[in-house]
Amino acid sequence: MTADAFLFWFLAALTIISALSVILMTNPIYSALSLAMTMVSVAAIFVTLQAYFLAGVQIIVYAGAVMVLFVMVLMLFDLKHELQAFTRGRFSGAFKIASIGSLAGLLVGAMYSARINSALTESSIAANATSKGAITPLAEELFLRNVFGFEALGVLLLVIAVGTVALSRSKGGTHARH
Amino acid sequence: MNHQLLVAILILSPLIGFLLNGVRFKHTNYIAAGAIATTAVFLSFVCSVLLFMDLVNAPENQRTIAVGFYEWFSVDKFTINVGFVVDQISSIMILIITGVGSLIHLFSIGYMHHDKGVTKYFAYLNLFVFNMLLLVLGDSLLTMFVGWEGVGLCSYLLIGFWFNDAAKAAAGMKAFITNRVGDAAFIIGMFILFATFGTLNIHELNALAPTTMEASWLGAVTLGTLMLFIGATGKSAQIPLYVWLPDAMAGPTPVSALIHAATMVTAGVYMIVRLNPLFVVAPNTMMVIAVIGAATAVMAATIGLTQYDIKKVLAYSTVSQLGYMFLAVGVGAFGAGMFHLMTHAFFKALMFLGSGSVIHGMHEEQDIRKMGGLKKYMPITHITFLLGWLAIIGMPPFSGFFSKDEILWQAYSSPRGHVLLWVAGAIGAGLTAFYMTRLMALTFWGTSRVDKHVHPHESGSLMTIPLIVLAILSVIGGWVGIPHVISESFGHIPNYWEHWLSPLMTKLPELAENAHGGHSAAEEWALMGISVSIASISALTAFVMYLKKGDAPKKFVEAIGPVYKAVYNKYFVDEFYFASIINPLVTGSRNLWYYVDVNVIDKATYKATDLVRGGGSFVRSLQNGNMQQYALYIIAGVAITLSLVLMR
Amino acid sequence: MPDISILTTITPNHYLVLSACLFMIGVAGVLLRRNLIVLFMSIELMLNAVNLSFVTFSHSFGKVDGQVMVFFVMTIAAAEAAVGLALAVSIFKRFKEVNIRFFEHLKG
Repeated sequence: MTADAFLFWFLAALTIISALSVILMTNPIYSALSLAMTMVSVAAIFVTLQAYFLAGVQIIVYAGAVMVLFVMVLMLFDLKHELQAFTRGRFSGAFKIASIGSLAGLLVGAMYSARINSALTESSIAANATSKGAITPLAEELFLRNVFGFEALGVLLLVIAVGTVALSRSKGGTHARH
Repeated sequence: MNHQLLVAILILSPLIGFLLNGVRFKHTNYIAAGAIATTAVFLSFVCSVLLFMDLVNAPENQRTIAVGFYEWFSVDKFTINVGFVVDQISSIMILIITGVGSLIHLFSIGYMHHDKGVTKYFAYLNLFVFNMLLLVLGDSLLTMFVGWEGVGLCSYLLIGFWFNDAAKAAAGMKAFITNRVGDAAFIIGMFILFATFGTLNIHELNALAPTTMEASWLGAVTLGTLMLFIGATGKSAQIPLYVWLPDAMAGPTPVSALIHAATMVTAGVYMIVRLNPLFVVAPNTMMVIAVIGAATAVMAATIGLTQYDIKKVLAYSTVSQLGYMFLAVGVGAFGAGMFHLMTHAFFKALMFLGSGSVIHGMHEEQDIRKMGGLKKYMPITHITFLLGWLAIIGMPPFSGFFSKDEILWQAYSSPRGHVLLWVAGAIGAGLTAFYMTRLMALTFWGTSRVDKHVHPHESGSLMTIPLIVLAILSVIGGWVGIPHVISESFGHIPNYWEHWLSPLMTKLPELAENAHGGHSAAEEWALMGISVSIASISALTAFVMYLKKGDAPKKFVEAIGPVYKAVYNKYFVDEFYFASIINPLVTGSRNLWYYVDVNVIDKATYKATDLVRGGGSFVRSLQNGNMQQYALYIIAGVAITLSLVLMR
Repeated sequence: MPDISILTTITPNHYLVLSACLFMIGVAGVLLRRNLIVLFMSIELMLNAVNLSFVTFSHSFGKVDGQVMVFFVMTIAAAEAAVGLALAVSIFKRFKEVNIRFFEHLKG
């Protein structure tokens, strides 16, 4: 067994286990910590796929900013262990799990039938990276070809920031009387 | 004056009166309401007189005033114009309607002054006059039918005028529904005539009629005219549809005088006279008309013998006299029918108004057993009623004598008459004399049987003046149509009536062969003498029975017990109709309602709604507001779609 | 000796299957949990799974388009989390709880 294969299986197991614990932990704080763990392991998987920049962004934005946001809110609410963490209804629960399982099976089956079986090798991106620096192709793609989308995202974030403030500071909705 | 304008004023004046009184129907000022209504009808009367004078002054072959107003509707080649015709026949009718109508309006002011709905009453009365004019003047059967329905409506409204009394409201409904039966036949008749001739214009129908000859004994024209006649039996209260008229006496008495004696009930006779060329080519229809007329005349007269309600007696008398009119038109004596229509309008309106005066003076008492000796309390009413009595029993020289005698002579001598028809008419005349004398004797003569608390009094001048005018008309009204045999003896007094109507009256085809039908003047004198003596004898008998020998009627009744009972109960015709038609209809309808409507139709619809509701509540349970449920649908949908894609 | 190449040779398929598993875990969380914040976390899981697919394809096709898309997705995810948490805060202020049942007013 090669080191690559070992690394993949290790990271895959780590990702799955931590993701499962996100949805299975009854205490939201544990869920949040498990989510952070998932983020970090996904970042590591990005590294194995030679997307170093994205791995960094993943750590900083997700595991840093977003997770801090989640934990902050949880602390704010001071939520304890929940008695009813999962939805009720035996029938609908069974139906939900059945559809999840069948969809998962279908997805895996689809991928198996697609047969992208060529072994993972050094990609051309990495080859370019040695000559021009690892970040350059991404930056060119992002800031030259997709510059409109990038700017639109900036506007969106601004709107979101304002909206979030408006939502959370009012007491009974944005149009409540004082 | 412009004829179109005159006709417009003639017709619209009562309509405006109706609208004026109709919009202020809650007022109780009887003077104002009566003034408006009477003025409106009197204005119509003035117009009628002017039109009549114009006709008289016109040359004999141009005595038709036809005015068109506008096109009502047009379907393919079938066009109905709103137009009116004033000719020899309809001019007589509008004079009667507006003239007698004015007098009755005047009378109503006095009669109805205590009533709270007096304004509404006068509004209805004016609406009736408007519709009646429409009926009489309309130049097509359809326009006539509008008036025909309109007078039916007014009749219903006025019979049930005191609708708080359930029996009176029911009488109104009875009249309306019975008339509907006839009206349905009238419509069918119109269909048949339209299919045969392609027009409903009366003038065109009359012009086309002589060109057709009935091939079989029941051809299209016979069938069509028969249907029209059934319509006439409904409106004019003949067998078998006469049952509503006696009940119609529930309305105010002036209404009985105007609608149920003088005008509306004669509409059937008028319609047949109007279409006389059409009826002449259908001998079988005419035979049916004559037989039914004669039968009605006798049967209604026998019922009239037994009634104790003063208005019921007059009602059966009206049915009987209408029978005479139908007998006349049935044997082809259309002029005689119209003549009796006019004289009957005078004397029967007089008698109804007189009975109204009696009822008014007796404080709403209608039972003649509780009257008697009213002569000294109500002299004017008595005198006028007496003149009406003489007219109706056919005493010469009162108006009824001339018209009734003309009918009887024609029933005997006409090619389409028969001696049996004459016999029936003569028996009817005798019965009429008997029950009218009985009515006079029990009401006005003899000893008083009036209740001690009731103080009879003569009516006011508003009510007596119309009585006097009508009494004069009843006396002299017949002098315009004196038969030839009499006039020859008295030095050639012309028969104005026959002369006036003759251009519009079709001669029977059989008459062309032998001009006088092979009957001599001696025969006419003999028959006249027989009928007058029958009337005199039976009047005298009644006089003796009811005044001189108080117990004679009772003995006679006991002697013929069951027969009297049958007659007193009107031959159980109402009961027969109930048993044979109305009750099966009601039972059938109820069964249909219960077994078909409730059990089948309702259940089916309820089941359908249950199905929809069940489906709806199932679908609603899918959309329960639970977001996770919705997410589940997305996932399941994706799974299903993906599996379909992969399976291909 | 059985063929263990599927274990020893790592192909893009391995990454995609991992991505699918991660995605379905996120779906399961969305469907089954009642806590609003955990629901948002599950959505983050699903987004991460998608990101993983993008990166995988980017790597196997040798193009950076996929990575740009990941960049966008991350931004949207952060924005979505911010709005969602603001909503959660509003709900919490009103009901002192962040249960999904308070969002059950979308009934027919």
